[in-house]
Amino acid sequence: MDSLGYLVSGFGVATTMQNLFYCLAGAVVGTLVGILPGLGPIAGIALLIPATFSLNATSAIIMLAGIYYGAMYGGSTTSILINVPGETASVMTCIDGYQMARKGRAGPALAICAIGSFLAGSLAILGLVFLAPPLADAALAFGPPEFFSLMVFGFVVLSNVTGGSLLKSLMMAVLGLIIGTIGLDPVSGNPRFTFGQVSLLGGIEFVAVAIGLFGIAEVLDNAEKPDEVLEQRVLVPRFRELYPTLRDLKESLGASLRGTGLGFGIGLVPGPAPVLATYASYMLEKRIAKHPEQFGQGAIQGVAGPESANNAACQSAFIPLFVLGIPFAPPTAILLGALLIHGVNPGPNMIAEHPDLFWGVVASMYIGNTILLLLNLPFVPLFANILRIPKKILLPLVMLFCLTGMYSVNNFMVDLWIMLGCGALGYLMRKWAYEGAPLLLALVLGPRLEVAFRQSLMISHGGFGIFVERPVSLVFLLATGGFLLLPLFRKVARSLGRRAATVS
Amino acid sequence: MRMAVSLILGLVLALGMAGAAPAGEFPAKEVQIIIPWAPGGATDLVFRALAASTSKYLGKAVVVVNKAGGAGAVGYTEAMQARPDGYTLVTAATPLTILPHQATTAFTYASFDPVINVVQDPAMFQVRADAAWKALPEFLEYAKKNPGMITVGNSGAGGGVHLIALAFQMAAGVKFNHIPFSGGGPSITALLGGHVHAVSCSPPEGIAHVKAGKLRIIALFSEKRFDAFPDVPVVREQGVNFSMGQWRGLAAPKGTPPEVIQTLHDAFKKGMEDPAFVKNAADMTVNLAYAGPAEFGKMMAADHERYAKLVAEIKKQ
Repeated sequence: MDSLGYLVSGFGVATTMQNLFYCLAGAVVGTLVGILPGLGPIAGIALLIPATFSLNATSAIIMLAGIYYGAMYGGSTTSILINVPGETASVMTCIDGYQMARKGRAGPALAICAIGSFLAGSLAILGLVFLAPPLADAALAFGPPEFFSLMVFGFVVLSNVTGGSLLKSLMMAVLGLIIGTIGLDPVSGNPRFTFGQVSLLGGIEFVAVAIGLFGIAEVLDNAEKPDEVLEQRVLVPRFRELYPTLRDLKESLGASLRGTGLGFGIGLVPGPAPVLATYASYMLEKRIAKHPEQFGQGAIQGVAGPESANNAACQSAFIPLFVLGIPFAPPTAILLGALLIHGVNPGPNMIAEHPDLFWGVVASMYIGNTILLLLNLPFVPLFANILRIPKKILLPLVMLFCLTGMYSVNNFMVDLWIMLGCGALGYLMRKWAYEGAPLLLALVLGPRLEVAFRQSLMISHGGFGIFVERPVSLVFLLATGGFLLLPLFRKVARSLGRRAATVS
Repeated sequence: MRMAVSLILGLVLALGMAGAAPAGEFPAKEVQIIIPWAPGGATDLVFRALAASTSKYLGKAVVVVNKAGGAGAVGYTEAMQARPDGYTLVTAATPLTILPHQATTAFTYASFDPVINVVQDPAMFQVRADAAWKALPEFLEYAKKNPGMITVGNSGAGGGVHLIALAFQMAAGVKFNHIPFSGGGPSITALLGGHVHAVSCSPPEGIAHVKAGKLRIIALFSEKRFDAFPDVPVVREQGVNFSMGQWRGLAAPKGTPPEVIQTLHDAFKKGMEDPAFVKNAADMTVNLAYAGPAEFGKMMAADHERYAKLVAEIKKQ
């Protein structure tokens, strides 16, 4: 009841003319940085921090938070239209979203993303209002051993996310792990696999690999097609087909709700939560789908689930930031910097010390999500019309967007070379039917897995018992074992059943 | 045709000369600060605020450019190669004196001319408020009896607070078990969750939790007590002859004219004293500590030597 009362006063703060304006500004900028490949919420927030110096803390955070969740709306646009992930959490959306667009259903895909994001955002804020303090405490139970076991579980469950050949998926995952070892060793600080190159000390930029494997590879793949194909437009959508049908909505509702739940939970775990949430949601939808063979061919659930999951994860990532003062995800680390510069040092007392700020920002998230839905739906026809551009003009533009977008992330030329190299790799991978998603997952999880593993062993002075002695860690390890053995059990059960049938 | 070519060449040359403004009129255009880390970190925030407050004293805009990559090495390499005319500066922070020992870098602190030091962050150990050790002597006594049993988190292998923790254990004659995390935030999370016994960190990390009574400062490595916590003694008062912190300042590529450095120094000093910046710094619990070019140069040289030994120490492990 207390929370509700505070929330009402929060709406009072959020609905002043000034704060409404900054909420709108944040949502618009967020959508834009989400759409531009490479430029993501991290860069967007960081670049606008100086612009907030003259604002009060509440208005500043309302705007900067708007950029973060706004980017989750915008990120799906380029994934669907041109197979380039607009930001890292939109990698999974490329898979079925782009297939939908190729079948002339870009409009419904874009609209479902906006609707799913809205649903997820609104529900996750409820979680933020009512569950924040207990959830934050639960998150603290995750130390290095628990984190390691969770990562192992995630790795095993998600590595074959797109289906296809398990062997090829594992090969790609291992390649991702290898790429992830480049840079300074996390324990000794010694350079590894940098071959004396200063530019590799910080490791390989995830965004460069993601855009290369998806976007650049797509352009290369198309470039070799005959001229007649390049003269064609990707599709010419009819207006009636721009918005989802009732059947689309029905099919995607369940996926959105499940994605919301998954995303909200994963958002509480330290790490790149929105990315992992999208993988997990895609995997879940495929597992429980009536027609799993449609996944990879343009299944609407494969778009609705992950897009809802990344929005929910992005909202719940505010819980550790506001309640513990600790950023679990990189964009919230930048928000922490913004809070500090405005004289707010978030910690256990923040909600009590700055109720106006906390409840004002939470209330503004409702308003922001509504603004984003209203902002994104009318633009669906406009964006879908991009596909009317003949391919021979569209593809060079895509290349240009990828190059400028990537450079804008770190202002660093080496990232561009890595992106182009990954583009060439991605092209070859397509020719021989290797998936990019497991490689990207391994690149995200690998370094964290390694750090958690070595931290655990350092804490236990080398004893492996630490992974099974701690209950949370043991549960994840058992779940991993169960998952691996499940197909075996099924096989045994089936053959036993068959034997029983022949006997009778 | 030849006429046109020479005309264009002449134009280009003239423009080139215009770009290289004559000395004595410094600054003729905006001054750029390279920050070798991604936006949003502590160094980034401090120097963005300082840039905003210094522009009016310098008479030209001060622009911040982030050149992240290579754990800072990329930005330093680029700054080192910039023209030494005072229009390109770089934030010189503790890693500048650590990186060259960890990897083969093109630069050391000596590749730059010091301009001004702005920040000196005290380093400290924090423990949970419910830890058995109430004060430093008990903590060290336990550490002596149980070598390697106290786990001390830090913000990253070979980073400033990791090396400071190593230096402290040598000074105190004990041995800790150092656990690296990927950043100050994760190390504080692990301490709050009870996964490590202590954490080596710099403000503002953990300060909100100390104020909220969840964490306690058990060892403070600065010369003087910390303004925000006047009751917390420094380790030197408690019989361990040790102090170490992390600095952040500005440097220019080697060979920048001394009078240009003087102009920059004077402008940034005024920017540091500007009330708006002082308030910003206080809000971020950043400890301002001015040092002029000569003194800042000595600080860098001393830490360069100190970190050489410490990095060699962890490489042995």
